[in-house]
Amino acid sequence: MLPAQFWRNLFGRFGLLLALLLLVGAMSLLSERFLTPSNIINVLRQISINAIIACGMTVVIIGRGIDLSVGSLLAFTGVLGAGLAVSGINPYLAIGAALGVGLVLGAFNGALVAYTRIAPFIVTLAGLTIFRGMALAYTDGRPITGLPPIFFTLGNGLLLGIPVPIWIMAAFILLTHFILRYTALGRAIYAIGGNEEAARLSGIPVPRVQLFCFAFSGLATALAAMVLTGRLNSAQPSAGVMFELDAIAAVVVGGTSLFGGRGGVFGTLVGALIIGVINNGMNLLGVPSFYQQIVKGGVILAALLIDRLLARRRES
Amino acid sequence: MLEMRGVVKRFGSVAALKGVDLALRPGEIHALVGENGAGKSTLMKVLAGVWQPDEGVLTLDGQRLALSGVADAKRRGIVMVYQELTLVPELSVAENLFLGRLRGLVNYRELNERATALLKEVDLTLSPKALVGNLSIGEQQLIEIAGALAQQGRILILDEPTAALSAAESERLFKLIAAFKERGVSVVYISHRLEEIFRLADRVTVLRDGERVATEAISEITPERVVQLMVGRSVRRYQRAARKPGAALADFVLHAKGLAPTRFTLHRGEIIGLAGVVGSGRSRVLSALFGLEGEASWNGHPLRTPRDAIARGMVLVPADRKTQGLVLELCVRENLALATLGRLSRLGVMRAAAERAQASRWISRLSLRPPDPEKTVRELSGGNQQKVVVGKALATEPTVLLMDEPTRGVDVGARAELYQVIDQLAEQGLGLLLSSSDTEELTGLADRIFVFRGGRIAAELSPPFDDEEVVRHVTGAILA
Repeated sequence: MLPAQFWRNLFGRFGLLLALLLLVGAMSLLSERFLTPSNIINVLRQISINAIIACGMTVVIIGRGIDLSVGSLLAFTGVLGAGLAVSGINPYLAIGAALGVGLVLGAFNGALVAYTRIAPFIVTLAGLTIFRGMALAYTDGRPITGLPPIFFTLGNGLLLGIPVPIWIMAAFILLTHFILRYTALGRAIYAIGGNEEAARLSGIPVPRVQLFCFAFSGLATALAAMVLTGRLNSAQPSAGVMFELDAIAAVVVGGTSLFGGRGGVFGTLVGALIIGVINNGMNLLGVPSFYQQIVKGGVILAALLIDRLLARRRES
Repeated sequence: MLEMRGVVKRFGSVAALKGVDLALRPGEIHALVGENGAGKSTLMKVLAGVWQPDEGVLTLDGQRLALSGVADAKRRGIVMVYQELTLVPELSVAENLFLGRLRGLVNYRELNERATALLKEVDLTLSPKALVGNLSIGEQQLIEIAGALAQQGRILILDEPTAALSAAESERLFKLIAAFKERGVSVVYISHRLEEIFRLADRVTVLRDGERVATEAISEITPERVVQLMVGRSVRRYQRAARKPGAALADFVLHAKGLAPTRFTLHRGEIIGLAGVVGSGRSRVLSALFGLEGEASWNGHPLRTPRDAIARGMVLVPADRKTQGLVLELCVRENLALATLGRLSRLGVMRAAAERAQASRWISRLSLRPPDPEKTVRELSGGNQQKVVVGKALATEPTVLLMDEPTRGVDVGARAELYQVIDQLAEQGLGLLLSSSDTEELTGLADRIFVFRGGRIAAELSPPFDDEEVVRHVTGAILA
């Protein structure tokens, strides 16, 4: 007989994946269009932008931070990259510049958090309005169109039959996983999230690591902005509203603790997939979008409840 | 009155309790002793309803007892006071005492009156309106116990209640326990301090490795025998051999708020003991040297941050392992690597083999139990957690080691092992600063003792040390 402990461990480790499989099973029973290769590709493409942002968010949250500015930063870096590209600069250079600016503005958030000790929630809440304002000011509130073809490739191109955004998402997830699991920096992020004081007394340069987390989030956001700009073949200053919440949802549904120190980016991918499958399934079933939001919120709550229950078990 | 029979509790594949029996009589003080990890706290958490036993039976007044949780246990009069306090610092004494039983609009006059009556019973002259956060740890502890009293407890479980108390506060606690006994309350008293147990307890139960090895009337047993039963071998007070310190290793100059400018020289192979009551400036010496407050320099080089200090070869074993020493969610191997991430990585990428090798080296050198590098440190006993903190510090290969209360809350066996490690380090030529409130620890290990009083070195003592003399200097009795 398998002891209850066995099932508990199994659930603790693979519970998320199990939940995803159950969801996929249910959806494929409800709609025969769901489990088709083209729809699966479709779901993956739909989640790619959120998943890329959520990679950065995962790093920030494991370090016991939060980044609310990503939606606005996505808009600003998107219009900046597009604006530079249409102004005649080499489009690769324009994309590089947008990524660089994302990194720098993220680092700006991080510097404030690390050196002024203002709470990340407040710093990035300010960033949320500042970056949105910068996007609107830069474009005068109008979308930017007429982009060079490289953008279209980023958003809609195919490589080996699979859309480019999926490749970018996969590569970025692997990069994030590598940083978190195989580098000294990643270890420092977990240590700071788990116990900042112990990390500091161990000689870990806490401010520098915090700065990195937010800079990385900025980079991830700018990358997502390039993909989104490509998808729409235009850059909107109003893009990315509420994206921070989708990213945070993917992270916490994926089992990363909001209190820091625990979690990982594969969990975040599963979290993004769960949310993506629910969205997709509800579309296929013709659920009105108003109700979709209610269901999505319910799923996030359920995930957090399960996380609390597991945490309680771990602590006792 | 209460009986526990054949209690088994497993965590994962590890059995923390392997079939323990325990019987409590009405109005007895029953001491529960054992090394860290012996299962004392686990057994009491089963009794207090925190955990359900995997096997075994509890009976209360002959009735079988199946506790559904802490609240259920409390309803039956079983109350546990934990090592970590569970008061709300932002609320008043009275509010804390009746927390959870306030309903609707609170009649503060009545609440404060009832609180005053309770405080009187525990001999505390405190305003019921005082904020708990402004009280000393000792006062808070007494309030917790008064709270237990307010719940009409029949069985009171105290888990190392004197660990954070001053001598005077401890005395007050002992009186209170005696008063409980008078009313027929049974007290289970967990402690590492044998003199307290022999003063207070009627009977003593010794646990070792999750099993009960003995229950004896206190009059039928000696402290030496209890220690033997606890560790399964005999332990004597640690006294290292006389040793001659080597050449000067470091000239330290430092000052901080509440600490007068201080300078001294530490030699190779020398252990300087820092004595003094809490607030005497003793701990500030270590935090100033480690770049946490004030200013300090080593042979003229400033020490501004922990990184500076570590880079120069000096590392701190902090006083509180849980909040300052460890990342509880990470495993033993990862914690051991925290202070040496640079050396264990190449171009920023962790070298897994080097990290594993470092972990197994320190696990065996410090006899960590269980010797499992992948175990989460949260699951280790206090003594073994402390060994991980020490291992993490030593992995940096320091030339100067700062230790703040290195054996606080550590059981006798692990303590002796840590003393041996400290002694070996001095033999190898390290310089050590050892700050401790345990006089025996200082006189047993140090080459010199600085006694701090009022923010300055009030006395510098050399061997042979006399424990009583050290205490007289620490308490200021020498002045009287």
